[in-house]
Amino acid sequence: MQLSAEATGTSQSVKKAVPDIYLPPERKKVSGGGVPHVAAKNFSVYYGEFEAVKKVSADILSRYVTAIIGPSGCGKSTFLRSINRMNDLIPNCHTTGALMFDGEDVYGKFTDEVLLRKKIGMVFQKPNPFPKSIFDNIAYGPRLHGVKDRKTLEGIVETSLRKAAIWDEVCDRLDKNALGLSGGQQQRLCVARTLAVEPEILLLDEPTSALDPKATAKIEDLIQELRGTYTIMIVTHNMQQASRVSDFTMFFYEGVLVEHAPTAQLFTRPKDKMTEDYITGRFS
Amino acid sequence: MSERPVHEHIKELSEVLVQLSEKVLTNFKDALHAVRHQDLQFARRIRAVDDEINAAEVHLEEQCLAFLALQQPVARDLRTIVTIVKINDDLERIGDLAVHIIERMPELGADIMDRYDFDRMGGVAAEMVRKSIEAFVNRDRPLADEVCQSDEMVDAMHRMVFKKVAEVMKSDGSNTDQLLAVLSVSRYIERMADHATRIALEVIYLVTGEIVRHSEDTFEKLIQSLRD
Repeated sequence: MQLSAEATGTSQSVKKAVPDIYLPPERKKVSGGGVPHVAAKNFSVYYGEFEAVKKVSADILSRYVTAIIGPSGCGKSTFLRSINRMNDLIPNCHTTGALMFDGEDVYGKFTDEVLLRKKIGMVFQKPNPFPKSIFDNIAYGPRLHGVKDRKTLEGIVETSLRKAAIWDEVCDRLDKNALGLSGGQQQRLCVARTLAVEPEILLLDEPTSALDPKATAKIEDLIQELRGTYTIMIVTHNMQQASRVSDFTMFFYEGVLVEHAPTAQLFTRPKDKMTEDYITGRFS
Repeated sequence: MSERPVHEHIKELSEVLVQLSEKVLTNFKDALHAVRHQDLQFARRIRAVDDEINAAEVHLEEQCLAFLALQQPVARDLRTIVTIVKINDDLERIGDLAVHIIERMPELGADIMDRYDFDRMGGVAAEMVRKSIEAFVNRDRPLADEVCQSDEMVDAMHRMVFKKVAEVMKSDGSNTDQLLAVLSVSRYIERMADHATRIALEVIYLVTGEIVRHSEDTFEKLIQSLRD
């Protein structure tokens, strides 16, 4: 099903604002990007009676990086996790409104969650490699989706590790246990594991909060490498990280999407006073 | 809403800027006073104060750069610090103009000051600087607009001095050195008004987040003010 702009709540202000002026020289417009990849229309997420995400309408533009910021408990992770239906695992969690991915209803009756999560991969706060070899970690997803041929798997493993900028560090020890890698390497391995099943969207839930500055920088560089190929959404508590890595920023407060704007605009002249108070640390 | 130490720090930097502006304005007025009274002692003091202004400007800039590096401000905090850095630069240049004026002192005197109405012209320019700083302190967009509009008044005074000097030059026995000094002083005051206008435009950026320095609207308004 292809949704019209009206039906998806296409935010014209955000669409219009794929902006040369707000993109620094190294952040050029993405070719073929900028169309709504995920579209929320009056989308709410409930835990029982509690409305954790409140009637959010927004377009997430393809192949750009969108950061989600906001205080703890504001609904940003809930919103992120609802995009590939990770919240289905939580009892009493249900949604209202529409959430579309590539024009398809994420919460539609006939949506295949496994296929959805193949297309929309996720990396979590704490690196969580399987207690298996590096090779098997990456090959796990493709095997699950039916790839059996060893040569094909080897190709996927190398490509994924290269895309995640960790190939050079692990290429001579692919048979070693992934738990022996450093925290930063483990997190990039998790990104590679996600890339191995050829997703379209990467959801990153505070991917660097457990990492040191050097490993954090590598993940941020990686996000820049992947930008333009994948649509990336990142939840972060680190304002500087949001401003460094993202093209667009969404500010949530108490479940409400308060502001969604080009990052450079949001961090220099936010339109909403609440956004300004939050990002300048005046929040009370 | 609670003010955090980081915001107190921004307030302190703003206060330092205001103090610097007061020093610059006093020195400028003293320069005109020194020329009128041919007061060499006063003139020496103006140079000494300008050295203090230069040191204060560097110190304030260093503090702002450290703030940017360490606090990484955003939104209005970022705009405030950037505005302070820019106004700081304008004030230092106004300080230099006071020194330039006393360098022309030997060719000038009370009669010249009266003939070319330099006290009034300097008064208008100084008031523009004062108002632009007041607009900064109070985040007062209308006052900033008022300063921008006043610039044309000083420009008109400068054109008038130019015209008078050109007429005197045509007459026999004109004192060329003196006339060149008159033109220079007029130009210095006109430049001071330009700096006040720049400060006002920076205040508009601070308040609105819009850089209007070269905007068509500003140009149109300028053209309109010239017609009015």
